[in-house]
Amino acid sequence: MESREIVDVVDLNILGQVCPACLLVVLKALNLHERNLRSGKTRLLVRTDHRDSTRTVPESARKMGYLVDVKKIDRHYEISIGKPHEKN
Amino acid sequence: MKRTDSSISAIAEDDTESPCSCQDYVHYIREKTNQLLEVMGTTPLRPEELDDRALIEMDPIGIVADSFRQIIGTLNKTIDELTHTKNELQAIFDATGVGISIIDRDYTIERYNQKQRELLVDPNMSNIVGKFCYEVYSDRCSPICECPARESFATGKSTLVREIWKKGRCFQIISTPFSVSEDGVVEKVIEVSMEVTEKKIAEIAEKEMKEFCLSEKMKLATIIESLSEGLMVLDKDDRVISWNRAAEEMTHWLLAEMKDQPLTTLFPELGAALKTNSGKLQGVELTYKASDSEERVLSVNIGQLEGSDGKPIGKVLTFSDNTEQKKRTELYHHAEKLAAIGQLSAGVAHELNTPLGSVLGYARLLLKDKSLTAIQKEQASIIAEQAKKSSSIIQGLLRFARQTSREKKVLENCQLNDIIMGTRPLLETELTKRKIKLTTDLAPLEPTAADAQELEQVVLNLSMNAIQAIGSKGRIHIKTRQSGKHILMSIADNGPGIPEAIRSRIFDPFYTTKPVGEGTGLGLSICSGIIGDLGGTIDIDSHLEKGTTIRVLFHLATIEQKKSQKVAADTKVSSFVKAGEVT
Repeated sequence: MESREIVDVVDLNILGQVCPACLLVVLKALNLHERNLRSGKTRLLVRTDHRDSTRTVPESARKMGYLVDVKKIDRHYEISIGKPHEKN
Repeated sequence: MKRTDSSISAIAEDDTESPCSCQDYVHYIREKTNQLLEVMGTTPLRPEELDDRALIEMDPIGIVADSFRQIIGTLNKTIDELTHTKNELQAIFDATGVGISIIDRDYTIERYNQKQRELLVDPNMSNIVGKFCYEVYSDRCSPICECPARESFATGKSTLVREIWKKGRCFQIISTPFSVSEDGVVEKVIEVSMEVTEKKIAEIAEKEMKEFCLSEKMKLATIIESLSEGLMVLDKDDRVISWNRAAEEMTHWLLAEMKDQPLTTLFPELGAALKTNSGKLQGVELTYKASDSEERVLSVNIGQLEGSDGKPIGKVLTFSDNTEQKKRTELYHHAEKLAAIGQLSAGVAHELNTPLGSVLGYARLLLKDKSLTAIQKEQASIIAEQAKKSSSIIQGLLRFARQTSREKKVLENCQLNDIIMGTRPLLETELTKRKIKLTTDLAPLEPTAADAQELEQVVLNLSMNAIQAIGSKGRIHIKTRQSGKHILMSIADNGPGIPEAIRSRIFDPFYTTKPVGEGTGLGLSICSGIIGDLGGTIDIDSHLEKGTTIRVLFHLATIEQKKSQKVAADTKVSSFVKAGEVT
């Protein structure tokens, strides 16, 4: 049986905002929740309708070592940022 | 960070006191923020997007700086991991059991491991990095056509060269493209060298062993096929697996028909024997009748067939056809018996000859006595006639007994045709009386060395047999031919023929089909002896109700040849006698 950890989701709604403000908001959140994000206790869910953000946010988050997943939901995007992969 | 935040807030609060310098600071902060955002890969801040106060309150430089801390932390971690991986790879590179080198497009060695050096590099050569691989590994001035690196550079694919010999060792070399430029050009290859000497030697030994086994198998198959004895191989359940040509010929079965059939289908008599004595048999005789031929006597041997572990895996059965040998043995015993009878007869005949001579002499004296009555004379005449007849029988016996004696022969150059024509008058009375027509077809013949009286006897005996076989009214045809150094005489009659059952016995002495008193049974055996002495044969071709043809075939010989043969035979007999004396 796989044990499931309870993960807090920090919802970051930046719908209507554009870059670079979007990126700065997300970076701020990543800095704020760094410890919990890295330990896996928290996952940051960014909702944006600004297309450029789907490029700039994942690029920066990945450089910071996080695991990023982008999904298109109706008319906006969901960028999920969480605990990085464990290296073998 | 907190300190920085409060400093920026202080600048914002001091805005009224020193507007000029404050504006410069804000401008500076906006500029640096944009610079950092550019580094982060996004667009500069627009004034309408974030006014100065909001900019100061947001603290973008602090945010980006904090993000950089995370990025640098991640980079440091990645660098640590890469260093660790590199060390691991280096350890694997050095510790692997195969030789590895990295070669660039100019065939220059960039890196190599210790194993590669051990396998392919001259121990006296120092550092080989920067040298040409073909010089270092193959002592050549340029890469050869079979060079795997050359092939990989050309095709962009991995290349395997199966067999390269160096210093008495065999290698397999695999070249794999390693670094490929954006336009698809292979810039480097990894060459992996594996020593396969032991494997190669084992392969060569295995190949030689296979060839040896195949050659031995072929030899064995040829031997088995050329055996005159039948040979069968049986499995553990005594079923036929294979057999040879002789077995097919003897049993009149093809292997395809008998394969996997139990042996007892073929030889039911062996069923019980196979179950006893571990199935081993020696010299067992059994009778076998093939569907379309007469019964044969077979002598069978059976032995165990063992596998490499010594366990029985089947049986091998050999058999020979002893029918002819058995017949020959029977004939030999028969001939020995006849020889004994002949010797006995000769002794008896010799003893009877003298008193018979007296009987004949006195009968003839009586015939001259004029005082005898007619009846007495007739009786004396019968005595003389019967005594003479008895004497001629005895002469025949003696002649038969003497037929191997060469001393008494009178060799001369005989003309067979003349002898045949000479016997005609002697046969004429019988021929006329029985209304038998004798015709001849005599080809010119060379004279041959023989006893003329013996040849005359052969012609007379065979002709008289033909006359007696016909009985009355018929034809006899005598023909002679010469072919090279052989003479053929055939005497054909249109009599009733000789029944097949007695054909093999008519040459036996004392065997006759004539009524008692009419034949001695010695005629043909004497003829056979005379022709045998001439190195010839007598054959019979007889068909019931159609007639019989006797063919006499013998070699032409000169008197000198005959005499030398006699000397050789005498010498042999003499040596034999002397050897007998010694022992």
